[in-house]
Amino acid sequence: MPKRTPKRPLADQLDEVVQAMLVSLQPRPEAAPHREVAPLLSIARELRYFPREEFRATLKSELQRRASMSLNQGIESSAAAPAKAVHYMRPGFTSITPYIIVNGASQFIDFLKNAFDGVERLRVPAPDGTLMHSEVAIGNGMIEAGDANAQIPPAPTDIHLYVNDADATFDRALAAGATSIYRPTDEHPSGDRWGALKDPFGNNWYIATPKSWTPGPEGLRSVQLYLHLREAHKMIPFLETAFGAEDIGTHKTPEGRVLHSTMRIGNATLEIDEAHGEYQPKPCVLHVYVPDADAMYTQALRAGATSVEPPTDKPYGDRSAGVKDPFGNTWYLNTYLGQ
Amino acid sequence: MKATGRPGKKKALPKGAASRNAKTPAQAEEHLLVEAAQSNPARFDALYELHFERVYGFIAGRVYDRASAEDLTSEVFYKALANLKSYEWRGVPFVAWLLRIAANAVIDRSQRASRERPIADDPPDPGFKPDMRVIEHRARLFRLVKQLPETQRRVVQERFVDQRSIREIAERLGKSEGAIKQLQLRAIERLRAQLEGGHA
Repeated sequence: MPKRTPKRPLADQLDEVVQAMLVSLQPRPEAAPHREVAPLLSIARELRYFPREEFRATLKSELQRRASMSLNQGIESSAAAPAKAVHYMRPGFTSITPYIIVNGASQFIDFLKNAFDGVERLRVPAPDGTLMHSEVAIGNGMIEAGDANAQIPPAPTDIHLYVNDADATFDRALAAGATSIYRPTDEHPSGDRWGALKDPFGNNWYIATPKSWTPGPEGLRSVQLYLHLREAHKMIPFLETAFGAEDIGTHKTPEGRVLHSTMRIGNATLEIDEAHGEYQPKPCVLHVYVPDADAMYTQALRAGATSVEPPTDKPYGDRSAGVKDPFGNTWYLNTYLGQ
Repeated sequence: MKATGRPGKKKALPKGAASRNAKTPAQAEEHLLVEAAQSNPARFDALYELHFERVYGFIAGRVYDRASAEDLTSEVFYKALANLKSYEWRGVPFVAWLLRIAANAVIDRSQRASRERPIADDPPDPGFKPDMRVIEHRARLFRLVKQLPETQRRVVQERFVDQRSIREIAERLGKSEGAIKQLQLRAIERLRAQLEGGHA
């Protein structure tokens, strides 16, 4: 019995398994390694489900509003009224989703399925047989894609993809048609096992198995946008001002060059660094869910963005506005209006 | 023993309502709350306060992410409010009625869009009987978190809800990383002791 007495402080042991649980891509974390930690970890697992106080309060006040409405109008008419969305994100989406414009969107979807176990969620064909819009889930994230045309040129994108086994995924992607930039290695500065490849559509994929990465607000996102920018340091204050982003970790050289930065918007993060070598800017398209598309659109314009499209209600149930940032990336700021 | 927990709410409840088939003080209390809400929807918030943790905890274990859990929890309470008059006591606890709505909502969403992947617990089937022991345990844990000392509660909130790193929390709270780990440990040990010790 005394053999398994922990040598390190219990607080450290517990945090190690909590951290592993929080960054795990698996729905069920592995069992705790030590019997003193195990019962505490079972509490920690339950705490992942702890509700947000803000949500509890918002729902209560919405119920009170509906109740008072029903007093005036009768409960039946209240029940028939369209549900006001407490959430501004379409179910299945996070705050940031890359929208990748390619030549050959159908083939791109096949690539996502073959290389990354992508699950096709939606396919909206155009009359000419090309794809107007599609949605493919990868892990707990989502990628949207559509065919390029005369008005909408291809916009390849760089994605940081977290997977359970970087090497196996890397090999599958090569088999699906990608080319290696470098194989997964433990020597990456992030500390994660990390490899890089390019798909046949011009997108870079940074395939990583997390070891030391700090998770986002809702845990580790499988799909994260990665922006290589010139004068990347200027993007950080822009994101903060335009979209209320939060800098959750920036590393710079003594001269101020951004080596790596993680910015949080809502419940998702994106990564930024200074363009270098093979990793050059690729102005891309981002689909971002925000609580108030109109307000965010105005805020972004004030911060220096230019308008692509003023806020409008879309037939698919979002209110959407488009802006372009000073680096040429297009941001669709959407608020889900509910079904 | 008198039912506890909602001083001041009883004054306006309909008289004599408790005498109908109520079996325990808690059920009698709940029955009064339901009747009060059925006659005046503005009183529904007492039922919401009573059952939010149970409904949310039940759903959160069955969907993939927090946004879905929140959407479905909203849907359950909207439906419950809208259909409150169709609820009949008949000895079936109100929470069972809410959980039935919740189970159906999870199934509906899963079938409708194939966007949710039930994960943490087994998905409910139409003839399901919720495991009240698990639901009560989770709901009780949620309530106990709110009673933690302020700093411990904040660490739990930032670590598990906001999912911040120890380093970030340490910076935000102006403490060392070691101190945050200790607070996390103490909070969880305290929650465990309270859960095992019966009454919190």
